[in-house]
Amino acid sequence: MILSNDSSKPIYVQIAEWLENEIIAERFTANEKVYSQYQLAELFNINPATAAKGLTILVEEMTLYKKRGLGMFVAPEAKMMILEKRRNETLTKMVTDIVLEAKRLSVTKAELIQLIHKCEEEIQ
Amino acid sequence: MNVIDCQKVNKGYRRTNALEDITFQLTDQKITGLIGRNGAGKTTLLKILAGLTKHKSGEVNVFGKNPYNNLLVSANSILVDDQMTFPDSLTLEEILRSAPAFYKKWDTQLAVRLFQYFKLDSKQQHSKLSKGSRATFNMIFGLSTHCELTMFDEPTNGMDEAVRTDFYRALLKDYIAHPRSILISSHHLSEIEHLLEDILLIHKGKVVLHADLDEVKEYAVAIQGPVADVEKWTAGEEVLHSKRVDEQKQYAVFKKNSKLERARLEGANIQMLTASEVCMYMTSESKGGIDDVFK
Repeated sequence: MILSNDSSKPIYVQIAEWLENEIIAERFTANEKVYSQYQLAELFNINPATAAKGLTILVEEMTLYKKRGLGMFVAPEAKMMILEKRRNETLTKMVTDIVLEAKRLSVTKAELIQLIHKCEEEIQ
Repeated sequence: MNVIDCQKVNKGYRRTNALEDITFQLTDQKITGLIGRNGAGKTTLLKILAGLTKHKSGEVNVFGKNPYNNLLVSANSILVDDQMTFPDSLTLEEILRSAPAFYKKWDTQLAVRLFQYFKLDSKQQHSKLSKGSRATFNMIFGLSTHCELTMFDEPTNGMDEAVRTDFYRALLKDYIAHPRSILISSHHLSEIEHLLEDILLIHKGKVVLHADLDEVKEYAVAIQGPVADVEKWTAGEEVLHSKRVDEQKQYAVFKKNSKLERARLEGANIQMLTASEVCMYMTSESKGGIDDVFK
């Protein structure tokens, strides 16, 4: 993944989200060790302090846990917690944006719902 | 521990003030970006920190000592810029070979490897190098000293795109392997922002902002919408920049606040800014922009 400087999200948030995606995709599984701040810094070409901030977010959210001197590990319930969080926060925010944009374009509620159905069909 | 501690530092050239009451501290082992527009005082500040020029008043401490004419500071710090000179009686190879006598942490292996990678000619004289090659050599020299305080003044001037990218990567990898305090000046913040932990923004010889990169990024936002609405949303706020987009629309940059979420729901078009844009707006003249020249 290439990080974006222009993105509205700070780099450390992008790092945290990347790790979350890796956990959702089960490339890191429960109780597995994740990359250190230095490995992340090398991988994404960023300052190690920025990478550490990304890891800290996940420790605070208890997605990762620290083992002293050994590194950071994926919490047993991590995947479930991330999915839950994404449903609650990310999706709600995205829907808010969609509703706002629809209002700007004077798309009605019924049309919007119809559009969602259509997109869903196309994906399947 | 503070590597650098500046208190109310002033420096003037003839009648102009190059630096005015500069106060800041730099703590250990961070990469800090020294950002500012042309003539902001970046080079003057770096030269004072490296002990190459004397400040007029105030207090400068590097490793707890006044850097001017101080051996401890000059043995543990380096300033890489395009004015670095090396004796013409030595070839590039000989310069690198003599370096360990001056810098006790000199990394011979790194110097040799970088030298070969960038395909410099070991028999050449420093003054005969092209602008780009000289910048590359200076960068290799600066990185290889592993000085506790390593300063770069516009290091990529003259380098081509590929060398720039390689340089930033080399800087990061070497920093991870050998953490030390690095101060790097540039007017292209977007080029170096991924490497930085902190930003020291100076404007007209004064410190405007010294903060974490992410704090800088979140310092201000841009908002665009109908003139009356924008005025309402930014009323009482510290507006850094504003411009009329067209007859009806106004664009404004202002400090982030709690009213933002409400403005968003009222249909404001809110744009996040990059750190580089925030720095640009914070150091621009409040009245008008380039568009006013053409009115």
